Amino acid sequence: MAEANYGKVTQVIGSTLDAQFEEDRLPAIYNALKVDVTQTILGETVTETLYCEVAQHLGGGKVRAVSLGSTDGLSRGAQIEDMGAPISVPVGEEILGRVFNLVGEPIDGRGPVEAKATRPIHTEPPELANLSSKTEMFETGIKVVDLLCPLIRGGKTGLFGGAGVGKTVIIQELIARLARYHDGYSCFAGVGERTREGNDLWLEMQEAQIGDTGKSVIDQTVMVFGQMNEPPGARLRVALSALTMAENFRDQTGKDTLLFIDNIFRFSQAGSEVSALLGRMPSAVGYQPTLGTEMGELQERITSTNQGAVTSIQAIYVPADDYTDPAPATAFAHLDSTVNLERSIAEKGIYPAVDPLASTSRLVAPELIGERHYGVARQVQQILQRYKDLQDIIAILGVDELSEEDKLTVARARKIEIFLSQPFFVAEQFTGFAGNYCSLEDTIRSFEELCAGKWDHLPEDAFRYVGKIEEAAEKAEQMAKAA
Amino acid sequence: MANRRVLVKRRKAVKNIRKITRTMQLIATARFQAAYQRAEATKPYSAKLAELVADLSRAAGSTEHPLLQENDADTKALVVLSSNRGLCGGYNANVLRTAVGHLDDERNSNSSVHMVGKKGISYFRFLGRETHAQITDIDDRPRFEQVEPLANELIEKFVAGEICSVHVAYMKFISAGRQVPVVEQLLPLAPETAVENQEAEAGTSVEYEFSPDPQTLLDELLPASVRIRLFQSFTDAAVSEQVARMVAMKAATDAAGDMITTLTRQYNRARQTHITMELLDIVGGANALA
Repeated sequence: MAEANYGKVTQVIGSTLDAQFEEDRLPAIYNALKVDVTQTILGETVTETLYCEVAQHLGGGKVRAVSLGSTDGLSRGAQIEDMGAPISVPVGEEILGRVFNLVGEPIDGRGPVEAKATRPIHTEPPELANLSSKTEMFETGIKVVDLLCPLIRGGKTGLFGGAGVGKTVIIQELIARLARYHDGYSCFAGVGERTREGNDLWLEMQEAQIGDTGKSVIDQTVMVFGQMNEPPGARLRVALSALTMAENFRDQTGKDTLLFIDNIFRFSQAGSEVSALLGRMPSAVGYQPTLGTEMGELQERITSTNQGAVTSIQAIYVPADDYTDPAPATAFAHLDSTVNLERSIAEKGIYPAVDPLASTSRLVAPELIGERHYGVARQVQQILQRYKDLQDIIAILGVDELSEEDKLTVARARKIEIFLSQPFFVAEQFTGFAGNYCSLEDTIRSFEELCAGKWDHLPEDAFRYVGKIEEAAEKAEQMAKAA
Repeated sequence: MANRRVLVKRRKAVKNIRKITRTMQLIATARFQAAYQRAEATKPYSAKLAELVADLSRAAGSTEHPLLQENDADTKALVVLSSNRGLCGGYNANVLRTAVGHLDDERNSNSSVHMVGKKGISYFRFLGRETHAQITDIDDRPRFEQVEPLANELIEKFVAGEICSVHVAYMKFISAGRQVPVVEQLLPLAPETAVENQEAEAGTSVEYEFSPDPQTLLDELLPASVRIRLFQSFTDAAVSEQVARMVAMKAATDAAGDMITTLTRQYNRARQTHITMELLDIVGGANALA
């Protein structure tokens, strides 16, 4: 290895900095830079290593870099070292059960990680010819998801939703449901969300068991966090770190790997925060002009190859509930299955607040999931769409003006709407209902019978937070007894 | 935002609906006045008729007229008065629910339903219930000649012993603020209705001499009283329908108004957001270039 290449910090602007190197030994784009920051805090002198990533060459031996940590305490003139390669994170089985930050340092306080290999976080996406084209459904046991927007094994699923409609809860529920019965590995990337949620999840994973093997879920899981408190550079790269670890599992072990990202919007947001500092002109709605490229580079790497599958589930925040906002809109195109969470449904107290009309999946086609499943899914959507169309009339003229057929449709639609709710395992302590797993067969049959009018006699409330349809009937009986 | 165009379209649609409902409200108000006067106009006649029947039956001494007797046929007739047109709120639903409830109570005997009004006919078709006869040519201005054939048919059947009773389900008009769906018995004429007012007027009643004899007169007058009672149900129903339409259209107009307010607000906000966003883009771009 060539001798270390040192430069000097010449300018610090927020989370970006400029450094002067020798003109003929310029660090390459995406190379990591390392600088020691010494600070005196409460009379104690602390030295921390700050990593940066080269983003631009300014000419004259100057580079502009994005800091991956806080630039507090950094001063002009500090010595900065070119690491000669992009940020690399430890990979392999040794990292299982651990929690990392984006540069691959463990942050769970359990000592250093003895990884045999590391892997740079910037790589090319897999080649066209190596991509896998399997389409197999991934059963979650959540009625609304399995019926209307089924997950694809080895595919990408996005959970869209505004603030506080339950994205994180659903992603945690999916972790609880999938990771628990999953025999491969799982990676979780916490991108710019609450640190507390990450901590909750970590503790929960330690308690949760995989099937009945006696191993806890965390033993098969890697977690990488770059949460809200981190500077934008960190939030911009943490998803890549987790993805790199997942890619390694895919390529080396060939097992199915799950990749959870919460929240991909923060990635775009972080990009926009550094974009202006890097001197780019803001584009639509103030986002970075490179929004689509950045998203594409990340998303194209999350994919299944001949060697193994990466199934990814991503939460995507929708600013101001506006789906036309460029950030969610760019993410949209990359997904196989989209689960849209809708505020108006959450307001009705129906959780998961999945919008049954806007959510969809590439899998919903008769040749992929079968005629029966497809038919029931479409019928449910038809009834709900009709109800939606009638809503203005009901609001103005009242329900009495509808024809008898429409009245029946409205009654069924309301029941279907409520029946789409389901108690969650992770929400047990809040709702007081035990979590419920509804098999695909039960789901299809329940909705089939509901659409056919077999359960018209049950009161609406009987459909709230139950699993399969028979449980609604039981609940109706209990309600009748209690009354 | 494509959102704005959708909002404008929806607002336009709601405005059109409001125009219609407001017009219908005004029409219903006018028709209500007319129907109310018509209903009131029959009252003196029917009151006098009842008085006369009471006097007569007292004079006749016995109440053995076939229209007053129960017979042992096993079919009951029900006349249901619904409207031909919709947009009158819960009017039809209430009447029909009452009628169906009555039919369900009488499940163990045969019922033959005489359905008046398109709404009732389609409702019973939807439920898969049979109707014996369907009448749609009586509008909100029932004339006696229109009601008479139905009354005659029912009387004939009753006297012939084909049916053991006749009930009428309709919306009884009590006041402009209150209408109640009722099922009233038309045949056999209950003695208390036949000799209605007897007690009250006992003091002032005068002994008449009748010619021809009271029995013959009763033969004539009792069917007349049945006819006029049925006719009154029709006029009552017509008044109630107009009231119901008036109220329903008033509520609809108000609801549409509220909706227009909400939509306008949403539209304005979307418009302003759009403008602000464009300004921000322009200013941001200009600043970045500067």
